[in-house]
Amino acid sequence: MAVTDLQTPPTSENGLLPQIKRLCGIAAATLTGGPVISFLFILGIWSAVGALQILPEAIFPAPWSVWSATVEMWQNGTLAKDLRVSLSRAAIGFVLGASLGVALGLLTGRVAVIRTLLNPFLTLLRPIPAIALVPVAIVWFGIGEGSKYFVISYTVFLTVWFNTHHGMEYVPETYLRASRSLGASKLREFLTVVIPAAAPHIFAGIRLGVALAFLSLVAAELSGASSGIGYRLQEARQYIRTDRMFSLLIILGLLGATVDLIVHHIGKKLVHWEQS
Amino acid sequence: MTTMLNEGHVRVQDVTIRFNGKKGPVIALDTTNVDLKPGTFTALIGPSGCGKSTLMNAIGGFVKTSSGTIALDGVPITGPSDKVGVIFQQYGLFPWFTALGNVRFGLKRLGLSKAEEIDRARAALDEVGLGAHADKYPQQLSGGMKQRVAIARTFAFGPKVLLMDEPFGALDAQTRLVMHDLLLSVWQKHRATVLFVTHDVDEALLLADEVRVMSQAPGRLIRHYELTQARPRTFSRSGSDLLTIRDEIIDLLRPRALIDA
Repeated sequence: MAVTDLQTPPTSENGLLPQIKRLCGIAAATLTGGPVISFLFILGIWSAVGALQILPEAIFPAPWSVWSATVEMWQNGTLAKDLRVSLSRAAIGFVLGASLGVALGLLTGRVAVIRTLLNPFLTLLRPIPAIALVPVAIVWFGIGEGSKYFVISYTVFLTVWFNTHHGMEYVPETYLRASRSLGASKLREFLTVVIPAAAPHIFAGIRLGVALAFLSLVAAELSGASSGIGYRLQEARQYIRTDRMFSLLIILGLLGATVDLIVHHIGKKLVHWEQS
Repeated sequence: MTTMLNEGHVRVQDVTIRFNGKKGPVIALDTTNVDLKPGTFTALIGPSGCGKSTLMNAIGGFVKTSSGTIALDGVPITGPSDKVGVIFQQYGLFPWFTALGNVRFGLKRLGLSKAEEIDRARAALDEVGLGAHADKYPQQLSGGMKQRVAIARTFAFGPKVLLMDEPFGALDAQTRLVMHDLLLSVWQKHRATVLFVTHDVDEALLLADEVRVMSQAPGRLIRHYELTQARPRTFSRSGSDLLTIRDEIIDLLRPRALIDA
């Protein structure tokens, strides 16, 4: 009893104050530990550079110029259209590449013949950057949507395949032994043991794939497009509209980070057992 | 009872197991003959790396014999089967299934209705005192509880033989004692033939009907004890024989003694 008395505040009226202090502490810790401080810090430096006019506006636009360029693009309708076009390219390319990557990764991870036939070739393809494929894509698929899907899905496919394959290779032997000694059929072992055991790796690959879909999006839109964030960046270069470029780059960054966050959260829900 | 006693007879005849190491073949198990009689509890004890796990893995069908045969009830063992249950030191539970889901996994092959399957899985968890934790995931359970789930999962589908590879090696001493009682009570109910690999002499003497001691690598069986003391055993109550055997085994396991033998 004496010990507990020492720990509780002397009067019950004061009980609220420590709680508020505690909440403020948590909020402060979240802000300082989170991205807000970092963004404010960079924005502060950027504003200072803009206000002091250290660099010409055409080379390095101030935050307010970038903001008004954003508003301008939004009001004339190009921004919404570009976003829609780019996001659907990234999404279609991602879905194509990721599903092919997972499917082939499961096969090369499981079937020795397919592994022998394909792995060295696929490994050789991995270092080829997306942008280097653009000329080939244009010859094969023209300057329509096909070449964009091809460049994006190719990049996503290789990464997702690679991670899936490795996830399959590192399925712990104990799981397989447990499954076999419990009389599981090959199919049930594959569906309910091998795939879940590889799932954390597969999701790591998918998350990387999402990031790469965004990275290769701009490269894909260099293959002759008439809309999309990548195209708009090209166009801004022709008119030396650095304010628009900055706006588009920031939007690209924010979009990528948001999608990554969403994918990360979905992954955590789906492979909930990996957290400990 | 008589029909039960005819099932689960493991016969290991002239078995050797060699692996291809970096410097040529390595003998993991030297010529071994052993009979595990139906419904008996055999402890296999030996220094680490002596090949006791190799012998166990061969009976489990995970490792091929280089020569000789292993048969269960007269039928040669060619691969893992649901007649031989295995309990691993690292539990081998699937972290993506709950405790109940893990037990149900082993019941799938019986083709029960869903309700019946759940009922049986629950009953198996109740038997090991985990009925209240059926919906927890393995990573939410302590080491002792995980191993209880594994025991429930394996016994639930009724294997004839149960292989346990240092199953309590990762647990603290107090939890081990509780697990010993639990294992004996579940085993006495289901009566599988048990092969229990351990390097803990006391554990072997408290649990087993037969204790077999293995030499250092290349492993072979060098001593055999039959224990008839009533269970539950303790060193203070189960007579001085147990202590004498304990001293002998500890002496056998000493590297110096092995060179003489």
